[in-house]
Amino acid sequence: MANIAISRIKREFKEVIKSEEIVQCSIKVELINDNWTELRGEIAGPPDTPYEGGKFILEIKVPETYPFNPPKVRFITRIWHPNISSVTGAICLDILKDNWAAAMTLRTVLLSLQALLAAAEPDDPQDAVVATQYKENHPMFMLTARHWTNSYAGGPNKVADFDTKIQRLKDMGIDENQARACLSKENWDLEKATESLFS
Amino acid sequence: MEFILDFFRSLFNTMLALLSFGKKTVKNTLNINVKTNDQVLNIELDRSLEIKEVKEIVSEKLGVSTDEIKIIFAGKELTDSTTIAECDLGQMSFLHAIKTKRRTEKPASMPLITVEEEDSVVVPVEDHSSKPLCETLQDLKLVQNDENVETTRKAHFFVYCYFCKKMCRGKLRVRCCKCKECAFTVYQDPRCWDDVLKPSRIRGLCESNEDHPCTENESGNSPFAEFYFKCAEHSLGLENDFAVPLKLVRINEQNVPCLACMDVCETILVFPCEFRHVTCLDCFLQYCRSRLLERQFLAHPDIGFTLQCPTGCPNSFIDEIHHFKLLSPEEYDRYQMYATEEYVLQAGGVLCPRPDCGMGLLVEPECKKVVCQNGCGFVFCRDCLQGYHIGDCIPEMNQIDMNRSCEYTVNPNNAAEARWEDVSTAVTIKVSTKPCPKCRTPTERDGGCMHMVCTRSGCDFEWCWICQTEWTRDCMGAHWFG
Repeated sequence: MANIAISRIKREFKEVIKSEEIVQCSIKVELINDNWTELRGEIAGPPDTPYEGGKFILEIKVPETYPFNPPKVRFITRIWHPNISSVTGAICLDILKDNWAAAMTLRTVLLSLQALLAAAEPDDPQDAVVATQYKENHPMFMLTARHWTNSYAGGPNKVADFDTKIQRLKDMGIDENQARACLSKENWDLEKATESLFS
Repeated sequence: MEFILDFFRSLFNTMLALLSFGKKTVKNTLNINVKTNDQVLNIELDRSLEIKEVKEIVSEKLGVSTDEIKIIFAGKELTDSTTIAECDLGQMSFLHAIKTKRRTEKPASMPLITVEEEDSVVVPVEDHSSKPLCETLQDLKLVQNDENVETTRKAHFFVYCYFCKKMCRGKLRVRCCKCKECAFTVYQDPRCWDDVLKPSRIRGLCESNEDHPCTENESGNSPFAEFYFKCAEHSLGLENDFAVPLKLVRINEQNVPCLACMDVCETILVFPCEFRHVTCLDCFLQYCRSRLLERQFLAHPDIGFTLQCPTGCPNSFIDEIHHFKLLSPEEYDRYQMYATEEYVLQAGGVLCPRPDCGMGLLVEPECKKVVCQNGCGFVFCRDCLQGYHIGDCIPEMNQIDMNRSCEYTVNPNNAAEARWEDVSTAVTIKVSTKPCPKCRTPTERDGGCMHMVCTRSGCDFEWCWICQTEWTRDCMGAHWFG
């Protein structure tokens, strides 16, 4: 990797380590390998959102042309959010695409993603299913997002009803993740979910 | 013979210098051309000499008294007390000695600000006429009235030198825009790059011809100064050995860190954006390379193929494309090739599809049969870029089927072994890419969603990887992720 990208990412790494946010445990970044091409980020779910209490892990890949091209960022922790793919964790955020600027840093990226969790933009959806639920059945979206946070990101709030329904599908031999995804998509209608899984 | 003697003398001096542990390695004399009204005198001058002493040498050779001589250099008359060392002179530089009967004073009636439309406040300019330009000139502002930068430092210039084939330190020189002679004194120092680069901004007095001084027009106004740059790192002793100024490159006197690597470097590039964003030269080149490889340079109607500030500031185009000369020759060739291709495509032309040809061809909009003139001579269909054919274009798949129908049979294993590398590359490209539906640029999808944006600058077409048509909300709903 080009020296510029490495020296730049080293500085940014230090910036995050020394930042206020790390003191408040709101963002974190760690190294994956010695050549600085891949990092692991972590953001805390913002308060007063269904993501509160969860820790979300991010995969950060630094391109050779960094900082003139954006880092490739993806959620490793599964998350229910209109701008993030519930399947792949791909993120729809302008600053990670066309609006990237060389003056942005790891810290600003992590904080922007945290802000995205606090304020979704359902009109620019990455996950069309989640976006539809967000707009048409908002209470259901809030509950689903909280449940996913509890299941994957260590969030404290269980949704007992959802757990029961997942257990029912598991008893039928369905993989837990598959069951959760399908039920979430069908607005937790057990009958519809069963139908779509076995059809 | 004298030449050989000189050679041995210098060789001997060099040996002496080496023996004295390199203490005296810099030659303290300069070989200077002194240009008078009708001849050029080549004289050896010690750096510590004062102009007064130069006048004495010159007056002796010309047979006139020292009072009758004016020494002019880079738009300034040099006073007697100025030393050669102060003058930013290089080997084989030109000084101008003018025979004059009267000591012309600076005309009081001459306006200090020379561009009439300007309503800016007249800044009182110190009378610098006694000192050489390099001593008095302050660092030029990128734009006039730029308040961001304190400009109290001495000016440093960087140029692209075609002789040295690299970026060099540069020297600012002045001549009369009418007669192109350098026996010319400016009434005022330039203060911003526009003063230097745009014509008709600063007036001066032309003294190349004592009897008929140059004038701007019939009413006798003073002529304008014409500024130009020379490379400070080589000397051919030629008056018209010009270099191109790289106005965005400067010395980092304010110790601004590079926006990309955050190091504080000595030489930096300041982008022409509102915030004057700074990168070091290495990062600038890295930026150019990454944008070049992705064909992300933009074709600006006036400037040409260029880049903006890497933080995305609006209206921050680099308007002197010689800055891209800092790339390696191979990279610069590629830059020129892409720029030309982009020009051809934007003008509605086509590029010859033959491998290793790629000739740009401008054709009439309705013309379907294109001949690669002055290129490889290939005749092809403008629509499908295959060899020219009568009737509708046939999709490529069918063509392959047609080829297969040939009678001759070959062992498929042998055929697989006997492949020319280029062909397999072409196959790889065909298999791993899809063409942009608008401009046909082969595009690879390396992850993410199905929403594609054409990477060729100037196209930017948004399309769907699955439908291979324009991206719609239906694509978003149906197969955002496939």
